[in-house]
Amino acid sequence: MSSDLSTLSITEAAKMLAAKEISAVDLARACITQIEKKNKSLNAYLEVFDDIEAQAKVADERHMKGESSPLLGIPLAVKDNILIKGRRASAASKILEGYVSTYDATVIKKLKDAGAVFLGRTNMDEFAHGSSTENSAFGPTKNPHDESRVPGGSSGGSAAAVAASMALGALGTDTGGSIREPASFCGLVGLKPTYGAVSRSGLIAMGSSLDQAGPLAQTVADAELIFNAIRGQDPLDSTSIGEAFYPKRVEKKKIGVPRHLLKEGVDPDVLKTFEATLATLALQGYEIIDIELPSAALALAVYYVIMPAEVSSNLARFDGVRYGLSLAGNSQWGDYAKTRGTGFGPEVRRRVMLGTYVLSSGYYDAYYGKATIARAMLRAEVRNALEIVDVIATPSAPSPAPRIGENISNPLAMYLLDIFTVTANLTGNPAISIPMGNVLRDGKALPVGIQFTAAHGDESGLFAIGTSAEAEKKLE
Amino acid sequence: MISREDIQTLAELARLEVSEEETASLQKDISNILDYVGHVSAVSSAEGEKDPGLNRNVLRRDVPRGESDPLADTREQLLEALPKREGDYNVVRKIIQKDE
Repeated sequence: MSSDLSTLSITEAAKMLAAKEISAVDLARACITQIEKKNKSLNAYLEVFDDIEAQAKVADERHMKGESSPLLGIPLAVKDNILIKGRRASAASKILEGYVSTYDATVIKKLKDAGAVFLGRTNMDEFAHGSSTENSAFGPTKNPHDESRVPGGSSGGSAAAVAASMALGALGTDTGGSIREPASFCGLVGLKPTYGAVSRSGLIAMGSSLDQAGPLAQTVADAELIFNAIRGQDPLDSTSIGEAFYPKRVEKKKIGVPRHLLKEGVDPDVLKTFEATLATLALQGYEIIDIELPSAALALAVYYVIMPAEVSSNLARFDGVRYGLSLAGNSQWGDYAKTRGTGFGPEVRRRVMLGTYVLSSGYYDAYYGKATIARAMLRAEVRNALEIVDVIATPSAPSPAPRIGENISNPLAMYLLDIFTVTANLTGNPAISIPMGNVLRDGKALPVGIQFTAAHGDESGLFAIGTSAEAEKKLE
Repeated sequence: MISREDIQTLAELARLEVSEEETASLQKDISNILDYVGHVSAVSSAEGEKDPGLNRNVLRRDVPRGESDPLADTREQLLEALPKREGDYNVVRKIIQKDE
């Protein structure tokens, strides 16, 4: 069977599987062929599972018995901070050395029930701390569109795997843009669902008021298939909500653009592509409206207070006492400090220190206290804007993919890549990145994405406008 | 700029062993980041309530989940993950010491 199968969208592959034109084993083999060819240089997978074909055989048997599900037999990649029972999980950190997951994350259980085939664990910034996948303890992942560039992060391995046809789709997690930014840099669709829409049980927590899992896929329809399979309320995650939690919305065909945020710091080519995409959407009957989000200029500062604060609390559990790396110092404190000082990489240590600072007595009110006030203001502004428009549009990232190493010695420059994505995490709104075109850098066409943010619970609004934006691109 | 001593105090609070060299680079990085995130202090406390977030109280019935518990059969695997295991016990450092 030809290795072209690996380039199929999930929707196309599902159709061919249903018609028995291909088998799940064929599909799995096609992806394995691509992995064998490309993974060594791209470093998208930290581990490729050795039972892929066996999983695919089970899917084929289920199909033979009459089962049908759009994901039955579809090979997917999984970010390394999502637990699959009996398999290793490291969050790309040395501190989880030797750790084997003791249970399935709810998203994994749901995908297993749907019959998906898991190809392997994908590389990421350690504990999802980063926007380039350079902070992995196991080396950076490279962007399939230009191997001298980063794939984005932190779900960079998942994005590179799908972009290089080493998987038909993938799961990522998004705390401040970690699905949408790599989707933008790799030319994919990436969805951060509404806070609570997808259970976080079995995800290695980063910022618990921000984290969501979601799909990276080639098309909007594929992203929707994966989202529908993993969403839903879960007794194991009390922040999760059911489909009917937020009221249904009626489409107004109005797009809000906060142009005051785009005046500086955005690459001119990205801005040009963004405006061109809006113009084509206007031709399709969408009304483009200027909106103001005064507090959004503060969003990145708010995020880099709240996120490290939550990181420092969540990562307190990695102490060498119960699992993972365990090193001996000369006291109880020494055991902790040595294990954590050695096991965590530089960016993780930096964030834990920063979080400890903003939560410490004397600084709490000036940083964390103020950040929570600004967060409430931001939430109100976004809610008000979304009473007038269906979605808010911005570029997904201020630039195309940077070069590997470009920002590594300047953490703040790296943080600025998240400038447009963090707002949706702070407010809990769903947001999607859709490919909007390419910009040329050193003779290479680098993809860039447009981000749409919708009201809480309105993923269907995102899929609708995403499909329109995608259709425009196909016509070009 | 944040002082060397501050970084060492933070490292102690955060249970992190930090080298001399890293202390210096953390002084620089954390100061830069704090300068940037310090913009939030311009927000007036009168402008809004602290954000309660999207969380709400969720209760479950106080009954054992029994065999339907998705985590029911994980006991042995959890024990298996212990860095130092003796039978069904986790071996940890002795922390109660005699008063001097």
